[in-house]
Amino acid sequence: MSVIARWLGPVLLLSGAAFLLSDYHNDVYRKMLLWVALALGYNFLFGICGQVAFSHFAFYGIGAYSVVILLFQFHLPLPLAIVLGVVICVLVALAVAIPSTRLEGFYLALATLALAQLFVVVLNEGGALTGGTSGIANYRLPDIFGVRIRGPWFTAVIVLLVVGTYAVLWRLDRSWFGRACRAVRDNPEAAAAMGVNVARTKVIAFTLTSALAGIAGMVYAFVDNTVNPPIFGIDNAFLLLFMVIVGGAGRHAGAVIGAVLLFLLPFWLSPVVGHHHVLVFGVLVLAAILLQPRGLIGLFDFAKKPS
Amino acid sequence: MQDFLELAVGAAASGCVYGLLALAYLLMIRPTGIINFAVGEWAMVAAFGGFLLLSKLEWPYPLGMAAVLGFMLLVGWATERIAVRPLVARGAPLIAPILALLGMLVIFREIVSISFPPDPHPVPYAFGIGRLDFGLLGGSYQSFFIIGVTLLVFAATWLFFERTLAGRMFEAVALHRRAAALMGINLFRVTALSFAGGAGAAGLAGLLVSPNISAHYQMGVPLAIQGFTALVIGGVGRVEGALLGGLLLAFAEQLTVRYAPIPSGFAQGVPLLFLMVFLLVRPTGLLKARA
Repeated sequence: MSVIARWLGPVLLLSGAAFLLSDYHNDVYRKMLLWVALALGYNFLFGICGQVAFSHFAFYGIGAYSVVILLFQFHLPLPLAIVLGVVICVLVALAVAIPSTRLEGFYLALATLALAQLFVVVLNEGGALTGGTSGIANYRLPDIFGVRIRGPWFTAVIVLLVVGTYAVLWRLDRSWFGRACRAVRDNPEAAAAMGVNVARTKVIAFTLTSALAGIAGMVYAFVDNTVNPPIFGIDNAFLLLFMVIVGGAGRHAGAVIGAVLLFLLPFWLSPVVGHHHVLVFGVLVLAAILLQPRGLIGLFDFAKKPS
Repeated sequence: MQDFLELAVGAAASGCVYGLLALAYLLMIRPTGIINFAVGEWAMVAAFGGFLLLSKLEWPYPLGMAAVLGFMLLVGWATERIAVRPLVARGAPLIAPILALLGMLVIFREIVSISFPPDPHPVPYAFGIGRLDFGLLGGSYQSFFIIGVTLLVFAATWLFFERTLAGRMFEAVALHRRAAALMGINLFRVTALSFAGGAGAAGLAGLLVSPNISAHYQMGVPLAIQGFTALVIGGVGRVEGALLGGLLLAFAEQLTVRYAPIPSGFAQGVPLLFLMVFLLVRPTGLLKARA
């Protein structure tokens, strides 16, 4: 009972906020929540398991596109489309992760960079299936049990997604698997000596977080009711990495802070630097790595107990 | 057959460009273990240097090329000074400089995208537009120029590593950092030189390929992927491997575009496919490092 109460509080609080916001602010709020969900997943992969991958945002796109294509090109029912979408994400993730995690080093980073690049090409060249360069638009979320979910209620769905993602990752982080991930990050040889299957741990962490990104993507598909190639470009993959680094890699709170800050920063910066906020992000990341490798959350810890 | 020979020179030229990019990675990975994803961005910076000096200011080609390459050596050195040395000196884990270089990648790209309008910028050919034929083999002046320059660079690099004391120092650091440091080799100087050399090689690749694809602020990432794939194919251990890997990748790409019945955009999938296959089947690359 207390477990349910612990998760119910944040859900009510976060979705309650949506009912107080205007339509425009609801839209901004939804996208911010989705970035938080992505950053939480990516933090598990990069911060806790220590793997650099650039495909997280591509999986977000794969999830979004597969659910839209399965629903509106193949006319499958929603639950089946969601399950198949997750299966697609898992299969692609396995195909990339199994070869690239066999070796020491940063082969996964390269393979996923190539995958992210290829994904956009496939979207552009996909013809009628993906809608080519203009993507797919003019669809809406099918009714669930005859109820049409929209407005702040849809925001509540996203809140459920974020809290659900957090609950899964929080639980995993505290399980033997989370410890195995941290061991693989800090010292693969020692982890292997203690009986952790390093390659398998990496593959599972990658596949799991990629599937979570795919699920977030499925929800995103109905935020703007349009999916098109420019949304899923390589720039956002970098942005996600930067969010986690600036916030503090390896800490859930860090991922949330980084995602919120880097998502909102362009709104405040645009009067000053126009569209060039990415330059500011680059400088922030460099400063974080050089001056405070534990990110903003590290600064916070430092301020809390000066020693 | 005629068709294939027509393709061969062009493919060899792209292969040489990939080879140069792979060489840039290799120069930095061997002594430091650092994968620098900004290699593609360096190529992009050099391409814009070519646009500025050769197209806009109309400097003579050899002078402009020398100036761009000199500038790139400086860029590489500065990158090492800003993003790598403080972290290595502090004893940070290997991932830290790699991430810092990703930050630099974005900074390079944004500076260029702020400084130039977003459309493609033309860069001139070294010898203008023209065609050269050797019996059955034929191709543009630029293709032969690329092949010639690349062979020269690889020959020079090979001689540097095999025949000079400084080159042996690089090898010593690659084999065992601590031992090399104890033998009196200045690790920081080797790292700085490897980054300057890497930027030089990447810059050369960017300058050579830019007349064909035009300088554009987004040209970096595909080049970075192709260069690294070439490196994985050839193997990280040997300088010749970089060139071999580049040539194989380019031929595979061009043959796919020419003969496979798929949209030409999918040729960008060839590097990923190669990467996967080589990591599964032959993770050490085609050429093994000499003991």
